[in-house]
Amino acid sequence: MPEYVVSSQAYAKAILHCAKYPWAAVQGLFLGEKKEGKFRLTDAVPLSHNWTQLTPMFDVALQQVQLYAKSNNLLVLGYYVANEDPESVQLSASSALFAKTILSINSDAAAFVIDAKNFKTSQAGQPALVAFSYVDSQWKEQTGAFSGSASKGSGKNPATFSLENNQALTTARILVEERAEVGIYDFDEHLENVSLDWLQNNALNERIRTA
Amino acid sequence: MSSSLALLAEIRQSSERRPFEVLKLAEPLLNKGSITQAGDDVWVVYEQIFLSAIDEGQIELAKAILVILQKRFSGSQRVKRLYGLINEAAGHPDESEMLYNEIIDKDETNVLACKRVIAMLKAQGKYAQAIKELVSYLDIYANDYEGWLELVHLYMGQHMYAQAAFCIEEVILLQPANHYYHLCYAEINYTMGRLDVALKEYLRVVELSTDNVRGFYGVKLTADRIRELAKSKPKKDQLYFSLDNVPQQATLERLSQLATERLVGAYSGASTACKAANEEWLK
Repeated sequence: MPEYVVSSQAYAKAILHCAKYPWAAVQGLFLGEKKEGKFRLTDAVPLSHNWTQLTPMFDVALQQVQLYAKSNNLLVLGYYVANEDPESVQLSASSALFAKTILSINSDAAAFVIDAKNFKTSQAGQPALVAFSYVDSQWKEQTGAFSGSASKGSGKNPATFSLENNQALTTARILVEERAEVGIYDFDEHLENVSLDWLQNNALNERIRTA
Repeated sequence: MSSSLALLAEIRQSSERRPFEVLKLAEPLLNKGSITQAGDDVWVVYEQIFLSAIDEGQIELAKAILVILQKRFSGSQRVKRLYGLINEAAGHPDESEMLYNEIIDKDETNVLACKRVIAMLKAQGKYAQAIKELVSYLDIYANDYEGWLELVHLYMGQHMYAQAAFCIEEVILLQPANHYYHLCYAEINYTMGRLDVALKEYLRVVELSTDNVRGFYGVKLTADRIRELAKSKPKKDQLYFSLDNVPQQATLERLSQLATERLVGAYSGASTACKAANEEWLK
């Protein structure tokens, strides 16, 4: 029964990436570690906000993320996307393919769609994330993820998803309110200005820590 | 002219979407009344603030500005379109549709209203219809490269890459010296497996611009991939391009080396983590 725990930093960065480009689709990766039998998603690396269906720069970025992860003893544990249409919380064909690529690197990877429209109004304790596990050769939505019980939809081996703590939600809200998204840089932006650190976004990490 | 007004003019000029900044700049202008320093431009500034207000969901502010514009330009089709926009933003699509159709009935060449109708279809998730309407629009206005770009975007969203490629070709015909469109074309072709075209277009990108990191990544990625594929001697139907159509191994190697050199040069100013990842990747 795979257990995924999403940290404040990972959640906040994914949300801020989405907040920076509210009219576009954005996608990125989650990094983390396996600790005490659980998969802890400790960080997010934002990839792109433009031409998100196209593959070449995704390939380059993924290869570099893998190199970065290896030298920092991290695993690539997840793929996240926010669709251009806020009503859609499914994985598009290209998203499903990208998520599957992550799976081929790490069979424990999960996929997430950011549910932006429910960010403010979501139930207490619920992050704006829809979780997917690869079951029976397809990505299946894990209904009930983050609700404190095992999710439905993963067949015989239900996955559980939880947040590291409730502070994660408050932190994300505070940061969105103060427009902290100006401080997150993805691979697309890095390609236009290589001095932007898309792999770490250290300054933002500091802000998240102190929020 | 105040610096805020100058900045607002810059943003208008570049047509970048920066609604939060616009509103921040506009706030004192509106509150202190110094917006009048814009002289005759005050109306386009109001329009700009209106557009940013609805983008930020500040409907009340947008309404207030609309009243000012309506007072000055009553009966204007341009202002009518803004009424359409505020109705869209407030979630009244039927109202908007009616207004846009009225504008078009009065003047069928009003392209902004036509485009709004298409945009609404897109917003409602009616992508097939949006595409159909946009194709009809482009039959008439074939020089509207922004229209073609929107169609590229719509087709990519439906993963219809061949159609998207056709559309970006039209844009390139209209704007052949703009590296950005060659970049888009290169990446669509790469996604389709047409590495021969992708390589050529990435080379065109670096030719048309200076120190284009994305372009050089593309050159190296494609050149290396083609070399790999050529070495593994695949069957003809396994490839989406012809190996007859690509440079020789030696040339591919040199292209890859050139790209590597340029990337190393570009990355001298990067952070440690990114530099390390790039160096590793280049190996």
